[in-house]
Amino acid sequence: MELLFRLIQAMSVFLVVAYLYCKSPWFKPLTTDSLRTRDKIYLYFFFSAISIMGTYLGIPIQDAIANTRAIGPVLAGIIGGPILGTAVGLTGGLHRYFLGGFTAFSCGLSTTVEGTIGGLVHLYLRRTNKTDLVFSPKVAFITTFFAEMVQMAIILLVSRPYADALALVKVIAIPMILSSSVGTALFMSIGRDQKNVYERVAAISSAKAFKIAERTLNFLGRGINRETAVDLAKIIHEETGVGAVAITDREKVMAFIGHGSDHHKPGGPIVSPLTKTAIAENKVIFADGERERYICPLSNACPLNSVLVVPLHIDNDVIGTIKLYEPKNKQFLNMNKTLGEGITNLLSNQLLLSRYERQKNLLVQTELKLLQAQINPHFLFNSLNTIISITRNNAARARELLTHLSNFFRKNLKRGNELSTLEEELDQVNSYLQIEKARFDDRLIIRMDIDPSLLKLKVPTFTLQPLIENAIKHGISNMLEQGTAKIHAYREDGLAFIEIEDNAGSFRENAANDGLGIKIVDRRIKSLFGNEFGTTVTCVPDEMTRVTIRIPLEAHKT
Amino acid sequence: MIRALIVDDEVHSRDELEAMLIETGEFVISGKCANALEAIQAIKKEKPDVLFLDVQMPVVNGFELLSMIDEKLMPNVVFVTAYDEYALKAFEENTLDYLLKPVEKGRLDKTVLKLKRMLNEQEKPIYAGLNIKKIPCILSSKIKLINAADVEYVKSNKAGVYVICPGGEFFTDLTLKVLEDRTDLVRCHKQFLVNIDHVDEIIFRENMLAEIKTKSGCHVPVSRRHLKILRERLNF
Repeated sequence: MELLFRLIQAMSVFLVVAYLYCKSPWFKPLTTDSLRTRDKIYLYFFFSAISIMGTYLGIPIQDAIANTRAIGPVLAGIIGGPILGTAVGLTGGLHRYFLGGFTAFSCGLSTTVEGTIGGLVHLYLRRTNKTDLVFSPKVAFITTFFAEMVQMAIILLVSRPYADALALVKVIAIPMILSSSVGTALFMSIGRDQKNVYERVAAISSAKAFKIAERTLNFLGRGINRETAVDLAKIIHEETGVGAVAITDREKVMAFIGHGSDHHKPGGPIVSPLTKTAIAENKVIFADGERERYICPLSNACPLNSVLVVPLHIDNDVIGTIKLYEPKNKQFLNMNKTLGEGITNLLSNQLLLSRYERQKNLLVQTELKLLQAQINPHFLFNSLNTIISITRNNAARARELLTHLSNFFRKNLKRGNELSTLEEELDQVNSYLQIEKARFDDRLIIRMDIDPSLLKLKVPTFTLQPLIENAIKHGISNMLEQGTAKIHAYREDGLAFIEIEDNAGSFRENAANDGLGIKIVDRRIKSLFGNEFGTTVTCVPDEMTRVTIRIPLEAHKT
Repeated sequence: MIRALIVDDEVHSRDELEAMLIETGEFVISGKCANALEAIQAIKKEKPDVLFLDVQMPVVNGFELLSMIDEKLMPNVVFVTAYDEYALKAFEENTLDYLLKPVEKGRLDKTVLKLKRMLNEQEKPIYAGLNIKKIPCILSSKIKLINAADVEYVKSNKAGVYVICPGGEFFTDLTLKVLEDRTDLVRCHKQFLVNIDHVDEIIFRENMLAEIKTKSGCHVPVSRRHLKILRERLNF
């Protein structure tokens, strides 16, 4: 009985060691699923030391040692696999062997075997996909229990004289089996708890990261400006709970939220040398508040003591920084450091993406402007010539046409929005067509067939005009016979369709001028509504060209 | 008075120019045409002194029209265009003058002076014509353009000039002379042109006469006078 208490005492020493170990950085690798070779080497030395210590803390009995040596090899085996277990067992075993006594060999051998048993359990758990049981104290208990029984058996089988061995086993078996098993289980339990703590922290910080990402996604599409910077700083401040958050561009502070906002004013220039370095060298700067302190260049009374400065970049250009501060009385958590860096990288990617989107839209807009600029002077010119002639005989008609011309250009100027209603589009097209009708006289016939329920349909601004213009400029104006332009808007299959058709049938794929307007209209519809929408062209040479626009009834911007 | 023909595809342009020409007191308007084909017919019929010709017209533009007019009937030509870019080309064509739309009165007066001088000197206007790639033919209700390369032969009779190609026989307002001068078609008879590329065989008859068989099996007569030229051309 006394032996059991002595062994429990020895075991307690291990538990203290185990506790300390779990708090040390060397424990960290155990929280991941796969161990690297370097981690295994650390584990080897640690568990070998535990094993040897088990021998020394043992109690000499009848020329042998009652001990808790098994704890090291079995744990090493369960955690690190058979090779690690056997290696630790062998080390502990050899050490015991050289201490001598009549059980020297049997104990040395059995310690190695115990390590291997631990390793086999590890393999079994892995094979049967029960790796979550690796850190189970129950498994550790049962494994050690079994391993120690094997040890007793080995002592009986190998140690001679047999009578001495039997007498020894009778004394040590129960205390050793119990104390080792309980010790291993407790050791594992401490390890498991620590591992859970790490995992919870990881879960919390990834949850936070996701939350910040979700909250910032919506407004970052507009890029970073004074307004969005303040919102962003608020979100990071709320979610991380750090003392203060600042966002800067390359020169100025754009937003500052939290402690010290009395003297850290948005709009002021960047004064911190840490931030300047971060921007100049495009690297993360961290002043932890202990080895390196953040010294506020603005005020001696500033409570802030530690800072993390992460550059925000688009491609490789630093466009600013995000800064997280903690005051003197609070430690800068590692979690917040990781979070700060992660969030900043995420934001950088978002900014890159939104810049790409903006540029893409800009390109489409520019192309459209270009097209508008090309067409209108010719149209204006032809219209004026027509109206000059008409003025001679029919002043009223001329006035009417000038009104249409004026309406056409006013609409052109006014329509800066991305989307217009079909009604607005038709209004402009109508003015255009009235003038062209005057110009071509009876050579141009116009037919309109518009579903009145579609008049409020949202379409990209300047969708119809280029297509109608194409139909007349490249189609009907080149015909000797009478030309007919048709506009047909209808619903089908829960979608809206607009057809623009002429009877010239002169559309040619890849023709320099024909295709461009249609292509731009198509691209704008796709970028606003999605790839399943857009324009299709049907052409029967010398008979008709029809451009069909397919758009959703409700404009959901993608 | 100068007899003027106005050719422009836009009705208001025609009316405007007509009004301006009449205002000068120098012109009588012998006709207004909306396209090149109407113009070819009107020139034959009216034999105007001057053509006011729009450059941009459907199917056959002003320059192409110029190359389709028989030299004997060629009037003086004033190009009327809305776009400066054609002005330079108008000069390359050696036309009398060009006017930009909208036409200014002062500018038109200068053109009138120039025109009167030309008509007084009785100089025959010669314009370096383009080759005709497509021959405009008249079908009952529409105009058909036939690739000059597709034409097998052309015949003329009292009814007019007919272009024969694998698609059939089509009437055209162009004269044999114009087609001979401005296409690769070769004269083989007073009343026939043939496309050398479509000749299958030449069958000789008595009296130095011959007959051409085209690839599609049509027979085209060859006159004595033209057989010699044809021989030289074909090296036989």
